[in-house]
Parts: sequence; structure tokens; C-alpha cells
Amino acid sequence: MAGRRNLPPADKSLCRRCQSPDTAITVRTEPLCKACFDKYVQTKVVKRMETFRVKNSEPGKEKTLLLPLSFGPCSTALLYTLSRHLKNQIDKSGRPGFKLHVLHIEQPDEPPAQPLLDQLQSRFPEHTYAAVPLASITSLPHLLPSTLQPPSSLASLLSTLPTPTARADLSAHLLRKLIAHHARETHSAAILLGDSTTRLAERALAETAKGRGFAVPWLVSDGPISSAPTPSEAGDGQGEIPTYHPLRDLLSKELVPFVAFAEPPLTPFLRTASESQAAPAAMKNSTIDALTRGYFAGVEEEYPSIVANVVRTTSKLQAREVGAGELGCELCDVPLEGAAPERSRLCWGCVRTMQGVGAAS
Amino acid sequence: MPPRECEICHTNRAQILRPKNHARICAPCFIAIFEDEVAETVTSTNLFNPGERVAIGASGGKDSTVLASVLKTLNDRHNWGLDLVLLSIDEGITGYRDHSLEAVKRHSEQYDLPLKIVSYADLYGWSMDQVVAQVGKKGNCTYCGVFRRQALDRGAAMLGVGHVVTGHNADDVAETVLMNLLRGDLPRLSRATSIVTSTPSAALPENGEGEIKFTNVKRSKPLIYAYEKEIVMYAHHKKLDYFSTECIYSPEAFRGSARTLIKNLERIRPESILDVVRSGIDMAKLVPGAEEQNSQRACGGENKAAAAKTDEGDGLGGCGSSKESGGEMAAMEQKLLQDEEAQANGNEVEIKMPKKTVNSQNGVARDTQDAADAEIDVKNGQQQSPAQQTVPIRTKEEKKSRKRGKDAPPPKQKLGQCERCGYLSSQSVCKACVLLEGLNKARPRTGIEVGGGD
Repeated sequence: MAGRRNLPPADKSLCRRCQSPDTAITVRTEPLCKACFDKYVQTKVVKRMETFRVKNSEPGKEKTLLLPLSFGPCSTALLYTLSRHLKNQIDKSGRPGFKLHVLHIEQPDEPPAQPLLDQLQSRFPEHTYAAVPLASITSLPHLLPSTLQPPSSLASLLSTLPTPTARADLSAHLLRKLIAHHARETHSAAILLGDSTTRLAERALAETAKGRGFAVPWLVSDGPISSAPTPSEAGDGQGEIPTYHPLRDLLSKELVPFVAFAEPPLTPFLRTASESQAAPAAMKNSTIDALTRGYFAGVEEEYPSIVANVVRTTSKLQAREVGAGELGCELCDVPLEGAAPERSRLCWGCVRTMQGVGAAS
Repeated sequence: MPPRECEICHTNRAQILRPKNHARICAPCFIAIFEDEVAETVTSTNLFNPGERVAIGASGGKDSTVLASVLKTLNDRHNWGLDLVLLSIDEGITGYRDHSLEAVKRHSEQYDLPLKIVSYADLYGWSMDQVVAQVGKKGNCTYCGVFRRQALDRGAAMLGVGHVVTGHNADDVAETVLMNLLRGDLPRLSRATSIVTSTPSAALPENGEGEIKFTNVKRSKPLIYAYEKEIVMYAHHKKLDYFSTECIYSPEAFRGSARTLIKNLERIRPESILDVVRSGIDMAKLVPGAEEQNSQRACGGENKAAAAKTDEGDGLGGCGSSKESGGEMAAMEQKLLQDEEAQANGNEVEIKMPKKTVNSQNGVARDTQDAADAEIDVKNGQQQSPAQQTVPIRTKEEKKSRKRGKDAPPPKQKLGQCERCGYLSSQSVCKACVLLEGLNKARPRTGIEVGGGD
């Protein structure tokens, strides 16, 4: 039968799909040439974007999807593949299935992002772009947990936390809150995160280690969740904005070369995260997120299917039904019932992160 | 800088930094608080009934020694009225178990607790030394694990005890949580964190006047919230004499991997061990069909080295076989790859057939797929070209029944009893009896006798 993939290739060194001799990468035991690899990645992303097909959109009123961009290889790959996907949609049916709004959240210690965003805009002019500093969260006090009131500067807020793990955890949640806030402001229909399989596995394990095992189903699943918690940012009546992970079937180690192979090159848009994320010498000064990142970086080299299996398995966990009017954690927004000490507005994991804040202030 | 004083009594010098809350306390306060916390675990979970007979699974190692010492102390202090006994398993490993059993015998005297030693040789007719002589050093841990699980239950029944406590600590449980996440084993994930793991028939009414059968022995882990580090410190400050019982045991690849992660997590944030345990407890509630499982299934097979090797046994690399490399992880990677391949190919092949013939070619690729995948295949297959209908394929029913014996138990298993020994098993013959059969086949039916007047 044509297309049977288990036919033995004529030559094991040839591209498994087109028999070209110029193989560029081995994807899960299959050697592939650049063109076939490119198609492989593109297909995996498009498959996850079925919700936003042209036939589901109203002409002229396409939904806006928010794409948070960190200038890392994964989110850059997502921007690139989705841009091509949009072009294909227009080529095929004359109109796109969605619009992209690209948002970059500036970390405190990074150089201004505007020049890079301007460059991106000239490369992909069809999208809209915005940059928001993470520090601006302090001007949105309703997003912050009451224990952190009144908010001063972001730096002083983070400095109240004693450990690197707690600081990284708080920053990550503030980042997420700021993205969600921006999504609401721009009336986005969904948030498209650039998390790869590897990244999702890292996060599932890290959240387990941080005592938020109950939240893992919300973290790794796609789309609107019926039992999603009400965001702490109440009042605008919008409820939760669904999140998708279009890169969830691709490994980090596949996306790095994918971005490198792109023509014209995407490398000018990449910022090496390694400087800020380099693991400190002493384990004590490292973070739980860095530990799981390092762990899965090792596992995905040798056992990529195991990484994918962790994500697949954790996705099978069933999120608990949330009662009407149930409060969410002030920091991580998961429902508190059964996940928090009595009368606490923070879940166990966030209590741990905010440990010592009261003592310091 | 003057030495810090104890945060609790404010008189002695602080000697101990507690990993779970960074408290600096002195040794006497530590011993008191450690005991109080175990008591709290016991009372808050209603672990024991007043006057209950409880067997302490004693290996002579630090965990079970501390467990015996603490339970004895608490039982006397709080008048729980427990009838405590020590229960040891003698696997018959010369140079390892014989030494640790000496330690248990001393404990029996020191704590004034009766001791029962159950040996593999008595129960199965095979000591581990004999098993190793028979099967070699590779894979003998599978035997040990399968045998041990039954041995504790059978030993308890011999003593007329319906409840066995084991020395599993927080580190062990956290390790098991991570390990099962990494292996994608949700049923075991949901069982790992329960403090009481009773066998299904324990829920049944006790037969007669509370007669104990080896199929309804309850297991529990009173030290589930105790850090390994604190257990060592407790043993040290109480000057408990224990034997370091690390077997010539190399951990399974997944457990080893999980253990390294736990140790590193502890370095980064000591509290995270308990956080993993908490996460495990919470995630167990999210496992589809979890509640049903927890009340019905045989569980509690976590016996240290033998950890996840319950009677349903996963044949994947016993401790011995994974010694050479990360064999277990490589094997799983291979299996997952085959699953993917089978699924990809399966979508292109018609497999639903009225005929009940077996296609060996497809069977190989599909062996590892679970029933759900098989159903998808069938669905897709039906929509595909009818030209393929000539390919004879094993039907779904057959596939399911074949799967039972494999690792990764299907979501629901029917638990029955082994038709030979009566132990709980999802198959007609339990794993121990299967292993024994293999061993006994090679053994001459009657020993060779020399001389002897006829």
C-alpha cells in the first residue's frame, strides 16, 4: 500500500520521506532532509490549529489570537509557522482563519524589545505587535495577591522573596497574569503559548515539585476547560481566555534546528536565554524550574518518547469540577477548594512561594 | 557569634536544622517533635483500632528500626493498646540478610516485641541464593519482589495479624510519585500516596470471628510524612542500632532517575519532598476512576526494593537486569516508539474482520498498544479501503485477553484469586506461582539419595 511508512528505506542514510541524500536531522529515528523536516514541523503545528480554521471564522471578523513571544526558539518557531499557516489559508480560500497579535513581555534586566519587534514587523507585517514591561504589573494592583499590597516596584517585590525558586515562581505567575490581562484588553479569543512537549513535561514535573500537582491538568491541556477557575481579575465579565499549545507535539530539540534552518534566517530575532538562565554553580542557588529543565533536556536526547509520554499521561488527569463562585488562588488562579490552608487566599504552592514575605515586610 | 539556641526550649544549643521548616532545634526537642508528628499522622488518619494486632515489617534497616522504636514508644506513652509484633522476611541471601536479621533479633529483645521470621525457603521452597543459582544474577530481583509481597501478607496471617506497617518514608513516596509520572503509570500514581493500602477483600466482612486470611491484610505507612534525613537523625540521637540493608541492589532506571531528582529538589528547596507527596495525593484524586480503584484494588506492593512490582508484575528490568545501562528507560522508549509506529500504520490498514484468525505480522507491532488505540484503529480502518479486507487480523477480544499479562495494566482489571495458592491476582495463576512453576520445572522431583539401606 502506498505511503506505508514501515517499508525499509533503500538506504538508511537517505531522507526517510523523499529519499534525498541531503539529510539534515534525525527525528525520532527517522533521518529527514531540510524540506521534509520543515513540512513535519509545519504539519504538527497546523494540526493543533484546527479550531481556528477558515470555515470557523467570519469573513472580516477573524478572531484575534494572542501570541506571547519571548524571542526564544520555541515562540519564534510558533510565530514563523503560524505566519506561513495564515498565508496558506489566504492562498487556499482567500481569507485567513484568525489574526495574530504578538506580545512581548520585557523582563526587568533585558534591553528594550522595540527594535527587535520593529524588525519582526517588517518581516511579518500582517500581525500587530506590542511590548509591555513586566514591571508594569505593579500599576495593576488588582492582579496582585493581597499579601503583596501595596505594590511598590517589581524589583522590591521580588526581593522580598528569600529563594531563587520563589522569585522565579512569582515572576512566572506575574508574567502569566500580565499576558492574560493583555489578552482581555485586546479582546483576544485565545492565547497561543509556544510551549513544546519538552517544556510542558518540565512544567508538569516542576509544578508537582512545587506542591501544585492538582493544577497540572489545567497547565498541560488545550482549549477551554469546562471546570476552569474564575480568574482573580474579576469584574470584566469575560471569564477565562482559553489557552492553546500548538507546539505540544514537538520537542525542544527539534524546534531549535527548525528555527535555524528557516529561510531567510530567523536567527536575528533570537535572544539567547542562556545568559539569564544559566544554571548557577551551587544547586542551592538553582531553581526547581531549572532543575526540571535540565532533567528533560537530558531525557529528550536519549528518550524523546518518554518526554512525550509524560505530557500525554498528565493530560489524562481529569481536572476537578469547580463549584460556582469558588475562589481562585490570588497568585496562580487555580481553585482553592482542597488546595489551600483554611481561610487562605493562596494555594499550598503559592503559600510556599510567598513564604517569608510576611516576615520580611 | 554565640551558638544558636533551640527554637523550642530556648535553653539547649540548637543542633538540628529541620529540612521541612528550617527550624533550628536541639536533639531532645527534635526527638519529642518527631514522635509527636508520627503520633499526629497515626491519630489524624485513624490508622489503628484500639487493641489491634499490628505487625511491623522489620528489615533491620533504619526506616523499620525507627518505626519499631517510635511505635513502641508511642504505644506505651499514649496507651493505644496495640499488640505490636516484628515481622521479618528472610529472603535467604547469605552475607546480607543473615546480618540484618541479627539486628532485628536484637530489636526484638530491646523493645520486648515478639519476632516472627518468614523465610522464602519455608514459603516457596526456594531461598534467593538458590534462585540466583538457578536463574543467574540477572533478573532475580523480579523473583525477590514478587515473593516478598506475598511473604509479608502470609507471615502476617500466620501471626493472626490483619495489619502490617512498613517503614516507607516521605522520600520513598515522593520518589514513587515522580517515577510513576515519568513512566506514565497513572494507576500506580494513584496508589502510591495512600497511607493505607488495603487489599480488596479487606473491605469484605472478615470471615467468621475475625479470622485473618492472607488475602485481607491491611498495609500502612505511618512514616509517610517523615523525611529520610530526620529518620537518620532520630536513629542517631536515639542511638538506635540498625543495619544498613542496602541490598546488592541497583535501582531500576526510573526509580534511580526519580531518586536523583528528589535529592536535587531537596537541595534546592527541602520542603519540596513533602510538596511532591502532597501533589501526589492531589493528583491521585484526578486519575480517571481513581476512587473506585483505591477502594477495590490490591495495592501496597511498594516494598522498598520491590517497590512497584506488585503481583500484577511488570516484567520490565528487575533491579539486576538494569544494572548494565538505563535498560528500563531504553526498553520503554522502544515500546513507545513501536506504539507510535503501530498507530501510524494502523490507521492505514483495515483491521476489523469477522474472521477470528491471528495475523502474526500485525500482532507484533500491535502487541503493545492499549485497547483504546485498538478501537481507534478499528474505527479508522472501517472508513478505509475495503480492498484491505483480506488481511486477517486478531480481533479485539483476543487482543484484550492477551494484553492482561503484559505490563501497564489496562485501566480496569478484574481481581480474582490465584487458582493454585488463593492469592489475589487478576489472572488465573498469580505471578509468584508462575515464577515458581518455572523454577520447579528445572528441579529434580526427588532428590538424589546416596546409599541408604533398602
